[in-house]
Amino acid sequence: MASPPGSLVIKSILRQDWLGLLLVVVLAIAGLALSQPNFLSSFNIYVLLLGFSLSVLIALAQMVIIAIGQMNLSVGAIGGLAAISFAGLMEVVGLPVPLAALAGLAIGILCGCLNGWITHTTGLSAFIITLATLSIFKGLNLGITEAQPFYDIAPAVKAFGNARMGPIPVMLVAPVIAIIAVWVLMNRTVLGRQMLAVGGNPNAAELSGISIRRAVVAAHAISGLLAALAGMLAVARLQLGQPTIGDDWLIISFAAPVIGGAVLAGGHVSVIGTCLGVVIVTLINNALVLYGIDPFFVQLLLGALILAAVGINRYHEVQEQARRFA
Amino acid sequence: MSAAEKVLEIHRVSKAFPGVQALDHVDFELGTRQIHALMGENGAGKSTLIKILTGVHQQDTGTLKLRGGEVRFANPRAATVAGISAVHQERNLISRFSIGENIMLERLPAQRGFVDYRKVHAEARRWLDMLGLDLDPRMAVDRLSVAQIQLVEIAKALALEADILLMDEPTASITPYETDHLFALLRQLRDRGVALVFVSHKLEEVFELCDQITILRDGRIACPTRPLKGLNRGDIVRFMIGRDEQGARLGARRTDRDATPALALRGVASPLGHQDLTFDLYKGEILGLYGLVGSGRTELAKVLLGVHPPTAGEVQVEGETVRIKDAATALRRHRIGYVSEDRKAEGLILIHGVGRNIAMTIWSRLTGVLGLLRPGVEADTVMPHIDRLDIRTPSLGQTAMNLSGGNQQKVSVAKWLAAEVSILIIDEPTVGIDVRTKAYLHELIAELANEGRAILLISSDMPEMIALADRILIMQNFRLVGEVANDHDYGRMSEAIMAQIHRGEDEAVAAQ
Repeated sequence: MASPPGSLVIKSILRQDWLGLLLVVVLAIAGLALSQPNFLSSFNIYVLLLGFSLSVLIALAQMVIIAIGQMNLSVGAIGGLAAISFAGLMEVVGLPVPLAALAGLAIGILCGCLNGWITHTTGLSAFIITLATLSIFKGLNLGITEAQPFYDIAPAVKAFGNARMGPIPVMLVAPVIAIIAVWVLMNRTVLGRQMLAVGGNPNAAELSGISIRRAVVAAHAISGLLAALAGMLAVARLQLGQPTIGDDWLIISFAAPVIGGAVLAGGHVSVIGTCLGVVIVTLINNALVLYGIDPFFVQLLLGALILAAVGINRYHEVQEQARRFA
Repeated sequence: MSAAEKVLEIHRVSKAFPGVQALDHVDFELGTRQIHALMGENGAGKSTLIKILTGVHQQDTGTLKLRGGEVRFANPRAATVAGISAVHQERNLISRFSIGENIMLERLPAQRGFVDYRKVHAEARRWLDMLGLDLDPRMAVDRLSVAQIQLVEIAKALALEADILLMDEPTASITPYETDHLFALLRQLRDRGVALVFVSHKLEEVFELCDQITILRDGRIACPTRPLKGLNRGDIVRFMIGRDEQGARLGARRTDRDATPALALRGVASPLGHQDLTFDLYKGEILGLYGLVGSGRTELAKVLLGVHPPTAGEVQVEGETVRIKDAATALRRHRIGYVSEDRKAEGLILIHGVGRNIAMTIWSRLTGVLGLLRPGVEADTVMPHIDRLDIRTPSLGQTAMNLSGGNQQKVSVAKWLAAEVSILIIDEPTVGIDVRTKAYLHELIAELANEGRAILLISSDMPEMIALADRILIMQNFRLVGEVANDHDYGRMSEAIMAQIHRGEDEAVAAQ
């Protein structure tokens, strides 16, 4: 097991399962840059990064739930509820921006805790619980807004949504912080380890003195927090408290972590892989626009991509098994 | 008995699993009108052989001949079609289905695609009657007791009306009364021309029922197929364990029984059905807990870990009465660890690395600044344990599923050593583990006790129990029925333990 530290680092990089994805991303960027002169324009990069900002938060919100071996169908509904609450609190109640933002995040955490608490207490599958809460959160959203957007968004929020430094949108700051925080959570904290342990084998984790309830509720709370952050970012970007925010998040939320190598049964996720998954999806979206292909095909391609990603994972798994039993 | 004709021949069959040669060039013959005993210790390869005969596993090399023609069963269905049915050791019923549906599952009577439930239940009724089982076939299986479930399994195997019937420990959890009924039925089947294979640990049953015998040891034939007549108990035990005595070499321990017990139970009852459990476990002692499958041993471990907290009585750790409400409390406050009998389902996180699996119990102790884990700290902490237990792994990141069974078991022990527990409950430590690792684990367990830990050893492997334990408690139907001071003499001890169990059975019958 002894080997010089330098080669160890290289080896550990080579062992990462996201290396292949990185290669795909690099090739895709090179291909697009060569074939589409507009691709590297400052404005196009800005558009790409805006798309990435929102999608990566959505994907991470789902990824922490995949880590514990569950699913969260209500990511979009939580994001939507946090978004309209954020906008509504500013417009109707007149709360200052920071307070409204904190309230939005708190609503996300609260919704997440509710998901986690019900799932753990009832012992039912998170799939069905979050399907129900999806409807509840969406219902609250529609009840509050009567399906009408809040138009009166504070100027500071609008400015934040529009601000850019060259090709880089200022709002990228939020997802970057979130990515680092989730990476640290998953790789360096006891809570993250416990979440992965519960996802990998809840029986073994429990008998090893890990509290399953704590891990499950924490994961859902973090998921809710990230979804709320995504929702409020969407408000800043749209300059509008749109009640439909979150309606189309479901596919990207699963696609990116799965492309990134997450094991849907739980216990293994990759933050870097998930980010690369988001990059790939964002690039595909962008390529369709640049090539002037009907954007309605995005859905179709995304579906095919998910199938390809799980197919590749499964293929590796079967090969691994064959190797072990050889 | 009329003349037997060979119906099934197994020739030089081998089967390997990762890290274990489960069967090594095994020969076996089965004739009609015979009840054939297949014997051996845990891990000898009996269940693997049964699973090859029923198409659950396929042999690596060697041939199977059925009525003279060579066959190979790709799946269980193929074996069923060829007229072989089996009662496996694992339970295979669908718990939400009715008894009748389970019994008739392979060939549900139907009319134009609709299941004919009246016929299902009438047919099932016939097989239940044959076993003397007074159960309503419309009842769901999840409402049955362990013994009733086992009998329904048997009924299901009978209902296939196979001409070869394999039974892997069918009597493990049923009462003597039910056993008598079953044996009478098996004799009838034999006289009708069915070929039967009977796997059991209970020598009395084998002598009572069987005509022929084959004995396996460590995946090889220890005693080739022969008539049972002419063998006595001592011969069979010798064939099974390959030596008259085992384990005296582990050395006796001196335990201070005047000290405060590390763990003491006083009249403990549990929601799982335990009644009036009282015993002391001292530091430096290995206390054996022996009993048949379903007697409540593993369940007791779960009670002590707080998964199912006691409903009555007292649990004392180091002389103080404690309430253990969950496994976290058991580990952190009372330093009780549990090596599960099912390392894949309850011991390890198979998709995680070796290092993480071992460090799982102590993460919260490894944190530094801001509660974060430093990258190297996990490795530094687990390496001494990996070295000490001689765990063969290419790296700490190697996933647990890629280790051999023996190394997996060492990992599940190592995590409790890392957690520095003072009371360790070890449940069936050597099931499915190769001989050399088994001997190593035995030495390790003895060493752990010698270092001052209190060890509660659960095992249904009698030679293992007699080799390791200082005292042996015998559990039956969730009660303690006796205690034997172990002198490590296999013959004497096994007799003493079996006598206690029989007495317990008799008392249970009397109570009914």
